[in-house]
Amino acid sequence: MIAAFALVLGIVAGLVLRPTVPTWVEPYLPIAVVAALDAVFGGVRARLDGIFDSKVFVVSFISNVVVAALIVFLGDKLGVGSQLSTAVVVVLGIRIFGNAAAIRRHVFRA
Amino acid sequence: MTASPPQGRFNSSALLVDLVMNPLDPGYAAAAARRATNPGRRWYDAPAVAFGCALVGFVLVIAYIHTHRSAPAAAKVHDSLVARVHASQDQDRALSKQVQQLTGQLQKVRTQALPGSGGLVRQLNADQVAAGQTAVTGPGLTVTLSEPPKATASPAGGRGGSVPISATNILTDRDVRSVVNELWADGAEAIAVNGLRLSPTSAIRFAGDAVLVDYQAISPPFRIEAVGKADDLATSFAASDVASRYQTLVGADGIGFGFAESKLLHLPASAPRELRYAK
Repeated sequence: MIAAFALVLGIVAGLVLRPTVPTWVEPYLPIAVVAALDAVFGGVRARLDGIFDSKVFVVSFISNVVVAALIVFLGDKLGVGSQLSTAVVVVLGIRIFGNAAAIRRHVFRA
Repeated sequence: MTASPPQGRFNSSALLVDLVMNPLDPGYAAAAARRATNPGRRWYDAPAVAFGCALVGFVLVIAYIHTHRSAPAAAKVHDSLVARVHASQDQDRALSKQVQQLTGQLQKVRTQALPGSGGLVRQLNADQVAAGQTAVTGPGLTVTLSEPPKATASPAGGRGGSVPISATNILTDRDVRSVVNELWADGAEAIAVNGLRLSPTSAIRFAGDAVLVDYQAISPPFRIEAVGKADDLATSFAASDVASRYQTLVGADGIGFGFAESKLLHLPASAPRELRYAK
């Protein structure tokens, strides 16, 4: 309940504030999006498993974003930025799929 | 996991299997194990969840806005370029119309100035027709060449000459040129391609996918109008190699090809050319 409300609040805040994304943040935006989706699916799945923990949720989300951004940043400096950002998206994407499958099993028992 | 990978050895496939089998952050399990000893809610549970969810929503909506804000910008640039091209084309058209008007005036003045009865005027007129400097009317032959109908392509509407040409065109400058050359050889006195009059210095060329006549892009269907003795033109053209080649291509490639005599063709004057070296 709180989670859904806060999610809507965040969306509204984004729509109202409409912050301009600085140019140097732009390459990390897709990474942040995938990390955010991963955090959401992981959180929902943990909730359904009955092992949800608020601290793990927030810390894992923020650290995922930071680590992913760091990897891409390093990659950019070393000339393999796009490959590494693909790697990050693949890894987080696999996790999203796995968690979505687990959620599906919980919800539909199938 | 059913089988644990052998220890002490890096196993990359095990890494992938682990990734697929355990998508959940191990932190949740660890936290649950820790909490098993002292269950109960902590004070920061609700605020932390709220903060995390708000952050997630914020990030997602920023990404959405950012993506959709930059997309119209690209479209705007494209639109402005198209508008500029169209404006330049309009200007070009207006200027060439002005040139034609002025040429007409010039001709009138010249006719008045020259002695009316002499062969000079006739000579001048004949030369100007040959040079494509005056608009002419007369009987002749119209040859059309068109691309085979495409199943996917929508009919290109809009302005002549400005239609984007797809990369799969069969007809090239060579086709237009061979028809034009054949018509010259058959005795045409004046020729226009898609309304562009050919002069002795006209070039029919190819740039990218576009056929250029005097550096102006034209797009299929190509309509080649030749003024001359219609019967002779039609007979010679029908008997020519060029005509028989395109008749064959109609069957083979599905291009459109046809020619018909016309009682009256109106060919515009070509754009006047400045001779820079010839004296």
